[in-house]
Amino acid sequence: MTNLNEKKAELINLQRNNSSPTKKDLLIEIQNELNKLSLPHSKTEEWRNTNVNSILNHKYILGKKESVPLKYVNTFSFNEINADRLVLINGHFSDEYSHFNKTSGIQMGSIKKNQKSNSFKKYYGSTNLYKSNFFAAYNSAYAEDGIFIHIPENVIVEHPIHIVNFIYGNNQKTISQAHNLIIAEKNSHAKILTTYHSLSEDFTFNNVATEIICSENSDIEFYVFEGEGDTASIVNNTYVNQLNGSKFLSNTSTLCGSLVRNEIHIDLLGEYCESDLQGIYFPDKEQHIDNYVSIKHSKPNCKSNQLYKGIIDNKAETVFTGKVFVAPDAQKTDAAQSNRNILLTDNSKAHSRPQLEIYADDVRCSHGSTTGQIDKEALFYMKTRGIPELKAKTLLMTAFIGDIIEHITVKPYRDYVNYLVNKKLKGQEPESLCHVKICPACEK
Amino acid sequence: MLKIIDLKAEINGKEILKGINLEVKPGEVHAIMGPNGSGKSTLASVLAGRDIFNVTGGKVIFKGKNLLEMEPEERSREGIFLAFQYPVEIPGVSITNFMRAALDEHRIHKGLKPMDAAEFLRYIKEKKALVELDAKLEGRAVNEGFSGGEKKKNEVFQMAMLEPDLAILDETDSGLDIDALKIVANGVNKLKTKENASIVITHYQRLLDYIVPDVVHVLYNGKIVKTGGKELASELENTGYDEIKNDADNQ
Repeated sequence: MTNLNEKKAELINLQRNNSSPTKKDLLIEIQNELNKLSLPHSKTEEWRNTNVNSILNHKYILGKKESVPLKYVNTFSFNEINADRLVLINGHFSDEYSHFNKTSGIQMGSIKKNQKSNSFKKYYGSTNLYKSNFFAAYNSAYAEDGIFIHIPENVIVEHPIHIVNFIYGNNQKTISQAHNLIIAEKNSHAKILTTYHSLSEDFTFNNVATEIICSENSDIEFYVFEGEGDTASIVNNTYVNQLNGSKFLSNTSTLCGSLVRNEIHIDLLGEYCESDLQGIYFPDKEQHIDNYVSIKHSKPNCKSNQLYKGIIDNKAETVFTGKVFVAPDAQKTDAAQSNRNILLTDNSKAHSRPQLEIYADDVRCSHGSTTGQIDKEALFYMKTRGIPELKAKTLLMTAFIGDIIEHITVKPYRDYVNYLVNKKLKGQEPESLCHVKICPACEK
Repeated sequence: MLKIIDLKAEINGKEILKGINLEVKPGEVHAIMGPNGSGKSTLASVLAGRDIFNVTGGKVIFKGKNLLEMEPEERSREGIFLAFQYPVEIPGVSITNFMRAALDEHRIHKGLKPMDAAEFLRYIKEKKALVELDAKLEGRAVNEGFSGGEKKKNEVFQMAMLEPDLAILDETDSGLDIDALKIVANGVNKLKTKENASIVITHYQRLLDYIVPDVVHVLYNGKIVKTGGKELASELENTGYDEIKNDADNQ
């Protein structure tokens, strides 16, 4: 068994020469927090069903600022939507491959280049992200770069902003960290798409953290696509502060990866906010996908919704934890939660853990969780109409997760997810997913 | 068209069908009546290929082929259609997509090309009119949130779309009011030709006022105990099943 303290020291040692852009007093606070936090182990409640040994068992090198062959970068661009594209390779911003409209009034680019701006100083490290777990604290203490996006007041961004994340190991065990900051000022609206890809045969670990500030009446759509390879693990922490009247939608599609842990924390700091957190996961082989969602209703009159659905194949295992915390003052809270899983084999596993902590009395909170197999009655019904088993199953499963994919408002991206999901449902290995070879988005 | 010879079937070791013999010829309408638990729905299920039933003996020949060797989807493509007593809800799959998938399979089986979109829309419209299916239903998910009447109409609509040689209507009248019953029966009658046949399974005579059978069979305790013309149905309406049960039990 890995000695956790040794491993922790090793991870920290690996990054000790990094210079974090965090201001000094805050950085000290973060480092103190990191000192207190232990790496997750089998007794850590929030990680009970996710064993991080498969991440920790390797000796990594720090991901360098590599140059990825252009054809791979282009694979994951959606030319039709003319998106602003911000590319991170091993957590480093790539000037070469990023292109965006500099005249739109939106400030974007690398954390490194924007750390002198006022909004950076005001907001970087301002959420409780670093208190969430070891990996978030580790990232907050040592990440050097990432994406910075600032959407000014009243600005409505027409095109989606696409953040492309590559981990490029060059066949060495590689660790990569990026710390992103997205600020939506009052009444602004933007769609942000973040996609994760690995280009490595050897083990990689991507430790990502994103802070999102949703100011009054802002509206953010945040899409996450994870299609990393069988040797790539990711811990993806997102922390969102929502102020009065803001709307936040997150929609996550995880189609592969070795070990994937997505944590989304929502701090509802204002009234009349809406948070809608959705996700699909569709692992096979021995993949492990863990979605941890936590919504803190601190103020009255907010609405939150969690809807996660999974199809689990082979020996894959998934975890969904949905936390809803309603503070004593958060009257008229309306919180809904639903997690549904289909197990395709006897060896697949799904853990579903709804956790509701409610201290206000005038609230509406609902939750539901189902895990089962494909509806045999529906399957028989479809077969009696001439539809063969495989096609019937595909139709049923497409329908099962289809409502979540339908929520994606960026059409080329929605088509892309549908294309890959359908390929997977038909039992074809979506090569392009884990080992980039073709451009599914361009095929359309 | 269909020949059932000494068919026996069980579920969980319990024998339900104890030797059924039945022959259906093109153009015929057969009614199978009988008290609850006599095996009517089991017979329908076995013919459609539901695998929870275990066939322990006998043969079923459909258009010269061994039906029992075929998968449910093959039976459908060969021309068997089962209208379910309790049509299944399929959330998220629209009737249009569902029928598109089914019809494509049927056409490929017949060596025809799948219809193009325009052709398909024309076809679906024509069939909808035939069975008086509400226009707004087609965009909705199959049977999801449908009333009992809508579900049964949807079954007849699917039957119209797939044009089976042999339709098996399993208690299609159950849960229907008289107006819905008339529409459903009307649809079935319109679909009748000299070449196709149907088996109408029902507990009550009521449906047979609208779908007039050529032959009526009474199923009791896993066997056909009486066969007659359409007048047998009205007889049963007056006497009930008790007399038949007594006769059969005393044999």
